[in-house]
Amino acid sequence: MNLNGLKYVLGETGRNLIGNSWMSLASVSTVAISMFVLSFFLVVTTNVNHVTSVLQSQVEMRVFVNPKVTRAQEYALLKTARHWPNVRKMDFFTKAQAANNLKQEFPNQRGLVELMAKSNPLFDGYDVFTYHPQDIPQLAKKFKQQPIVRTVVYEGQVVNRLTKLSTILKWVGWGVEGLLGLATLFIIVNTIRLAVFARRREVQVMKLVGATDWFIRWPFVLEGLILGLLGALIADGVVDGGYRWLTGAAAAALPFWPLASLHAVMHEVLMFTLIGGFFVGGLASLVALRRFLRV
Amino acid sequence: MIRLDKVSKRYPNGHYGLVDASLTIRRGEFVFVVGPSGAGKSSLIRLLYREELASHGEVYVDQFKLSSLRGGQIARLRRQLGVVFQDVKLLPQRNVYHNVAFAMEVVGASSRDIHKRVPQVLELVGLNRRRDNFPHQLSGGEQQRVGIARALVNNPIYVIADEPTGNLDPETSRDIMKLFVEINRRGATVIMATHAKDIVNQMQRRVVAIEQGRISRDDARGEYGYES
Repeated sequence: MNLNGLKYVLGETGRNLIGNSWMSLASVSTVAISMFVLSFFLVVTTNVNHVTSVLQSQVEMRVFVNPKVTRAQEYALLKTARHWPNVRKMDFFTKAQAANNLKQEFPNQRGLVELMAKSNPLFDGYDVFTYHPQDIPQLAKKFKQQPIVRTVVYEGQVVNRLTKLSTILKWVGWGVEGLLGLATLFIIVNTIRLAVFARRREVQVMKLVGATDWFIRWPFVLEGLILGLLGALIADGVVDGGYRWLTGAAAAALPFWPLASLHAVMHEVLMFTLIGGFFVGGLASLVALRRFLRV
Repeated sequence: MIRLDKVSKRYPNGHYGLVDASLTIRRGEFVFVVGPSGAGKSSLIRLLYREELASHGEVYVDQFKLSSLRGGQIARLRRQLGVVFQDVKLLPQRNVYHNVAFAMEVVGASSRDIHKRVPQVLELVGLNRRRDNFPHQLSGGEQQRVGIARALVNNPIYVIADEPTGNLDPETSRDIMKLFVEINRRGATVIMATHAKDIVNQMQRRVVAIEQGRISRDDARGEYGYES
C-alpha cells in the first residue's frame, strides 16, 4: 500500500470510530469488561502460584539429629546429603540458632523463650529444600535411615495440594478465558458488522470501481484493533488501580498473607489482555467483513 | 475486446437470465442492448463486470477470463471498466466532488491526480458548479451525471451502463445520451442496456436485441424494434 492508501485508511478509520462513537464506546466497554474478568482470573492464578512458590521456598523439611552426635558427624551428613538428587538446598543449624530463631518469631512470648533458652530442649538439625514437593516423603525416609538422625518433620501435603490446586485453577482459568475471549469476539464482530452494514453501499461501490479486498478491509481491521486495544488498556488501568489498593489494604489487614507483587500481576495481565485485545479485535473485523466483500 | 462464448446464466430459482449467448464487441464501438423487461439485458451487463458469473460458457474482457479471476484480478478487471448503474449508487453522505473522487481514492490515486482529474470529468458532465452539493440536493438527471462522472474518472476502456436513462424524462435522457456519445467519441467503448426507443432509433448504432435470454438480433446500424 502506498502513502495515498495509508492516508485513506487512517482517515476512514477515524471517520468510522468517531462517526459511530456510541457503538465504539459500547464495544470498548464490553471489551474492557471481558478483559477485566480475564484479568481477574489472571490475578487469582498468579496469586495462587505465588503462594505455592512462597510455601515451597519456605522450609519443606526439617531434619533433627540426636543430641550426642559430634559436629563432625553432622557436617559429614550435610556434605553427602547435599548432593542427593532431590535435594535443592540444605542448611545446617545448631540448637542455639534454633532458639534464636524462635525468639525472633515470637517476640511477644519472651518469658517462654527465655525459659527454654536456659535448658535448651532443641536439637541441631538441617532445613532441607527439594525441587518437587512430591519428593518429600521419599527423601524423609532416606534421612530417617541415617544413624545420626532423630526425627524428620515435614508438611509436604499442604504444598502438594496447593500445587494441584494451582494446576486445576490454571486449567479452569484458561477454559473461562477461552469462553470469554469467544464472547468478546462475538461482541466486536457485531460492532464491526454494524459499522460495515451502515456502509455496505460504500463497500459495494468500492468493490465495483475496483478497490481490492484488503484496501476495503484495512480501515475496519484497524478499527477492530483499536477497539480491542482500547478496551484492554482500560481494563489494565482498572486492574492496576484495584490491585494497588488491594495490596495496600492487605498489608494492613493481613500482614503475613503473601500477595503477589503488582509488577508480577501486571506483567501477566498486560501481556494477556493486550495480546487478547489485539487478536480479538483484528479477527473480529475479518470475520465481520467476510459476507460484505462478496460483491 | 469483449467476447461472450456460448454464455448461459441460470439463477438459483431456476430462471434463465441468458441462454447460449455469443457476442463480440470491439474497442471503440457503441452498442445498445435492447429488449423487453426481464429479457436478460441486466444479466448480460452484470456478467461483464463480474457481479455475476456465467453458469455455462465464458466471458472474456481483454486478457481477463472472467470465470477464473481471483480477488486482486477482479479489482484489476473493474479498473478497466466504468460502470453506470440504473440506481446510480451514489454515497448519500458525500458531496458530488467526493462521490467522484472516491472512485480514484480507492484505487490508490495520488491526491494531486485526484485534484486535477475530478474537476475535468465534472466539467465534462456539466456539474462543476454543483460539486459541493449532496446527492439528495440533485435532480435525477444530475445524480445520473455524477454516476457517469464517477464511471469515467479512472479513464476506463469500457463504459458499461445499465438503463442510465431509465428513470429520467425524455429531455434529460437526450442530454445524458449526448454525454455517452461524447465519451465514445473520446475513445471509450460504450455498452448500454436501454429502453429509450426514440434515441436508439435516432442514433443508428449497433443494436443487440435480447428476447427471453437469447440474442435475437445483432444489427450494425439497428433500430429499437419493439413497442416500448
